[in-house]
Amino acid sequence: MAERHVTVTSEVGLHARPAATFVQAATKASLDVTIAKGAGSPVNAKSILSVLALDVRRGDVVVIRAEGEGAEELLDRLAGIASAP
Amino acid sequence: MTTVLAPVAGVAVRLDSVPDPVFSEGLVGPGMAIEPDRAPGRAFSPIAGTIVKLHPHAFVVVGDDGRGVLVHLGIDTVQLRGEGFELLVVEGARVSAGQPVVAWDPAGIEAGGRRPICPVVALDATAGAVTGLAEGVVDAGDRLFEWRDPA
Repeated sequence: MAERHVTVTSEVGLHARPAATFVQAATKASLDVTIAKGAGSPVNAKSILSVLALDVRRGDVVVIRAEGEGAEELLDRLAGIASAP
Repeated sequence: MTTVLAPVAGVAVRLDSVPDPVFSEGLVGPGMAIEPDRAPGRAFSPIAGTIVKLHPHAFVVVGDDGRGVLVHLGIDTVQLRGEGFELLVVEGARVSAGQPVVAWDPAGIEAGGRRPICPVVALDATAGAVTGLAEGVVDAGDRLFEWRDPA
């Protein structure tokens, strides 16, 4: 299982635009991808409902996990979106 | 089938007319938007369920079947940091369809240079899952669209 720990720096947190961009990128992948807030329970990173309900705010650390071929590249991409200001 | 009600009174318009690509390009899901009446009013829950996320400018309500609907009160209204919005329920509350959730003033939003248009989005739904779109003038509580069950 590959994972990335990322600090969210967007002023609005992982809401609306950043959340939609993140979920869209995750959905394009065939791998299962999860996102968790800190040590919280992981949720499906392909569900906008799940990601919005996580309520990730500026300064929160999220943990993104995926497993399988291409997981590292996918996680790099998602980490880039999640950490974008 | 979930009937999604208009959270505010106004004119029902297509989501693609919302001046924010997050909504107009369906990035968060299909749905409709309402150009609200420019008068102080309340935003009501579009379905029965639980308020899983409650911000002053937006809320998500999830029905017992797990379907979530996002109501966003205006565009870029996150920047207002709650000013001009009054929460009428608490996060985690169970609400009935048509129960008031937030009090606000679309005219005040507009006076501040922002669009008060309200996207109402079926989260995680496929584009074809939303039918029976309302047209023209709607009252709060009128049917806005139907969210079909997966085939």
